[in-house]
Amino acid sequence: MSTAIAEAAADRPTLAVLPLAVTAVGVATPAGLGLEALGRAVAEGLTGHPEALPGDETPPPRPVRTVPDLRTEELIGRKGVRHLDRTTRLGLVACRLALDAQPDPVGERTGVVLGTSTGSIRSSSEYSMETLRQERPYLVNPSLFPNTVMNCAAGQIAIRHGLRGVNATLAGGHLAGVQALRYARNALRQGHADRLLVGGVEEFSPQGAWGWHLSGALDPQAPVGEGAAVLVVEPQDAALAAGRTALARVLACETGFAPRERLAEGLASVIAAALRRSGKDPAEVTTVSLGCTGRTGLDRVEESALGLALGGALPGQVVRVKETVGECFSADGVLQIAAVLGVWQHEGRTHGGTAVVTSVSGDGLVGCAVLDTAGSPG
Amino acid sequence: MPEPGTRRVAITGLGAVSSAGIGAAEFTASIRAGRRTTSPISGFDTTGFPHTHAGEVHDFDPAAWLRRIEPARWGRSSQFAASAARLAVADADLTESALAGARSGSVMGTTSGESAVIEELVSAWAADGLKSLDGSRVGAVPAGRIAAAVNSELGLSGEALTLATACSASNYALGYAYDMVASGEADYMLAGGADSLNRWAHAGFYRLGALAEEICRPFDADRAGILTAEGGVALLVEPYDRAVARGARIYAEVLGYSVNCDAEHMVHPDPGSIASCIRAAHRSAGVTPEDIDYICAHGTGTRTNDATEVAAAREVFGDRIPPISSIKSMIGHTMGAASGFGALICCMALYEGFLPPTAGVENVDPALGAGVDPVAGVARPASPRVVQNHGFAFGGNNAITILGRAS
Repeated sequence: MSTAIAEAAADRPTLAVLPLAVTAVGVATPAGLGLEALGRAVAEGLTGHPEALPGDETPPPRPVRTVPDLRTEELIGRKGVRHLDRTTRLGLVACRLALDAQPDPVGERTGVVLGTSTGSIRSSSEYSMETLRQERPYLVNPSLFPNTVMNCAAGQIAIRHGLRGVNATLAGGHLAGVQALRYARNALRQGHADRLLVGGVEEFSPQGAWGWHLSGALDPQAPVGEGAAVLVVEPQDAALAAGRTALARVLACETGFAPRERLAEGLASVIAAALRRSGKDPAEVTTVSLGCTGRTGLDRVEESALGLALGGALPGQVVRVKETVGECFSADGVLQIAAVLGVWQHEGRTHGGTAVVTSVSGDGLVGCAVLDTAGSPG
Repeated sequence: MPEPGTRRVAITGLGAVSSAGIGAAEFTASIRAGRRTTSPISGFDTTGFPHTHAGEVHDFDPAAWLRRIEPARWGRSSQFAASAARLAVADADLTESALAGARSGSVMGTTSGESAVIEELVSAWAADGLKSLDGSRVGAVPAGRIAAAVNSELGLSGEALTLATACSASNYALGYAYDMVASGEADYMLAGGADSLNRWAHAGFYRLGALAEEICRPFDADRAGILTAEGGVALLVEPYDRAVARGARIYAEVLGYSVNCDAEHMVHPDPGSIASCIRAAHRSAGVTPEDIDYICAHGTGTRTNDATEVAAAREVFGDRIPPISSIKSMIGHTMGAASGFGALICCMALYEGFLPPTAGVENVDPALGAGVDPVAGVARPASPRVVQNHGFAFGGNNAITILGRAS
C-alpha cells in the first residue's frame, strides 16, 4: 500500500463495525432461481440464459442474459400481479426465495433496503411515451403509474410480507449493493427495524440495453443481463441469541468519492479502510468479487486498486459474477456478494474465507464491502 | 473519536432552488409573505392537458451557480441539487477547502431522478427508434447522479448517497445525515433532495384525479388536489460543538427522526402507521407531544392526505393539534425535494421566529374536525422551540424529522 493511501485510510474513523449476520439469500438470475444454481454456474464457469424477453422493441445486437423462468405466479401468487412490472416481479421473487430459505417467519419489525438506479426504466419511459402517442397526453393507464416510481418494488415487498420497518430505496447504480448494506447497518443500529431484506434488482429491457449499447460504457462482447438478489440480515448478536445460523458475516461497508482520474486511488483507499474497520489484514483476504467485469476502462481501475490495497497480486479466488449473469447494474453489488456465498457453499467452505467486494461507478463513487465465513474466529 | 451517537447535530447552511426563488433568503421571504409561485408550465409541451400549472423554476441558469461541474453533462435534477448544495455551503460560511478537507459527503432524496433526461431520450425514441438514443446523454440518466453531482461540484471525498424513497426522500436523507454526523462517521453532510417537472408524472397524477387545475389549497373545504413542482434543496449538517466553536450561525438542531412503512397500500396512506412514526420520532428526539410547537405538514392538497394527516396528528396530540401548515400551497409538490423544503422552512421558522403559512385557505374543511389551525394566509410571528416536519410517500414510506431551536 502506498504511503498516501495509508495516510488517507488512517484519517478515516476507527469505530468498530457492527457485524451483520446473513441468515438467508434469495436470487433470481440468468443461472436460474436460487443460490445453488448461481453458485454452481459461477464456480463452474457456466454462462447464464441468453434469450431476449418478448416485447415490441428489438434489443441491440449484442449478447444478452435473462432470468429463464421467473415462476412469478407460483411463488408470489396470482393476486394483484397483473400490473406489476418485471423489476417488481424480480424483487418479489428474490424476497420470496430468501424468506423461504429462512426456517422461521420474519416479524413486522422487519424492513426493506433495496438498490436501484432508475427503478424500471422500461416502465417510466413507456409511460412517458404514452403521453406522446395517445390522442390526448393524459390518456395513460393510471394502474401502471406506480411502476414509474422508483420505490415501487420496495413498497410491494413490504405489502406482500407485512414488513413495517424502514423501507428504503437507494439509487446507487453499481454502488447500490454496498450502499444498501451500509444503510442497513445504520438502520439496524438506530432501531428502525430488527431485521432487514437487503437487495438489488435490475430488469433486462430493450430501453436499458440500447442505453448500454450506445453509451460505450460496456465492452462490445459484454452481455447485458438482469437479476435480483436479496440477503436477510440482522445484527450478529441477535442472530446468535435467536439461534439462527449465519451463512456469512458482513463486516465493513465503506464508500467514497473520487474524481475520474483518481478512481483507482479512491477505491484503494476505501478497500484499505474497510479491511481495517473489519479487523482484517490484507493477507487474510482469500477472495475478491469484482464489479467491473466488462465495463470499458473500469475493469483495469478495479484490479489496479485491489493490487494497491492488497499489496500486489489478487488472491487465489477471483469471482466474476458478470461472466454468468451479464451487466446487472444496480443488482451487481448484491449479486457479487451472493456469488461469493454461492461459490463458498458449492465448495463446502464454512471457515477461513474473507472476501472483498468492490464497486465503482464511472461518476466517481467507489465502495467496498468485506464479508467472511461466519465460522471464522472473531 | 466520540462514542457513536453522542454528538449533537446542527444545521448551519441552507440552499434552495425553487419557484419561490434561489437561495434560502429569497425562498423564505416568499413563503413568509404567503406568495403563490406556481405558474403555467413552460418546461414541456402542455398541449392537450386540461391542467397546465406547476411549481416550475423558470429561467434557471445552472452556469450562474455551479463552478466546477459542467452543466451540459448533468441532468436538471443534478443541477438543482449541486446548485442548492453550493448555496448551502456559502450560507454556512465554510470555505471549499475546509469542507473538502474534512470527511464530507452528501445524501440526497428524489422521486423521479433525472426524469427530464429520460423524457429527452423518449422524444428521440419516439422520433427515430431506440437506436437513435444519444449515447452521451444516456450517462446522465441514473438517479444516483444527483448526490454524485453534489460531491463533484464541491470536491467531496465522502459518501454520495441518493435515496429514492419518493416524496419522503429528503426526510430520509436528513435522518441519515444526522446519524452519520452524530455517530462520527462524517464531519459534514449535505442533505436534501431534487426533482424535475415531467410530463409522465403530470399525466399520471391527472389520471388519478389528484391534480388541481390552478391552485393547491390544502386543508380548505374547496381543495382540488396537488400541483406538481420541481426544485432542489440542501442543508449543511455538522456537529453542534464544532458549529459553536467556529462561530457558525446555527439555524436549528436536529433532535431526532423516524422512518417506517405502512405495508398496506401503495397510494393510500395509513393514519395509524403515521401516528406510530410520529411517536417514534418523538422518542428519538426525547420530546413529548406537548413540546411540539408547529407541524410542517406533508399537506399535498388532496382530501385523502388532509384527512389522513389530521387523523394521525389527532391520534398523537388529542385535541391539542399544534398549528399545522403546508408550504405546498405556495410552491406545489416538489416530490423528492418536498420534505427538504419543509426542513428548510422549519429551520428558518426556528431561527427567525415565525410559523409558515398555508396560502389560499378560506374555509378550513369542517370534516377535518375541531382545532385545525393551518396558519392561513401569511406567516405568523411566533417563537417555536421544537417543530416537526412530515414526509409521506408512495409505497407507504413515512419519514418524520424533529428540529429544535439552537440553545
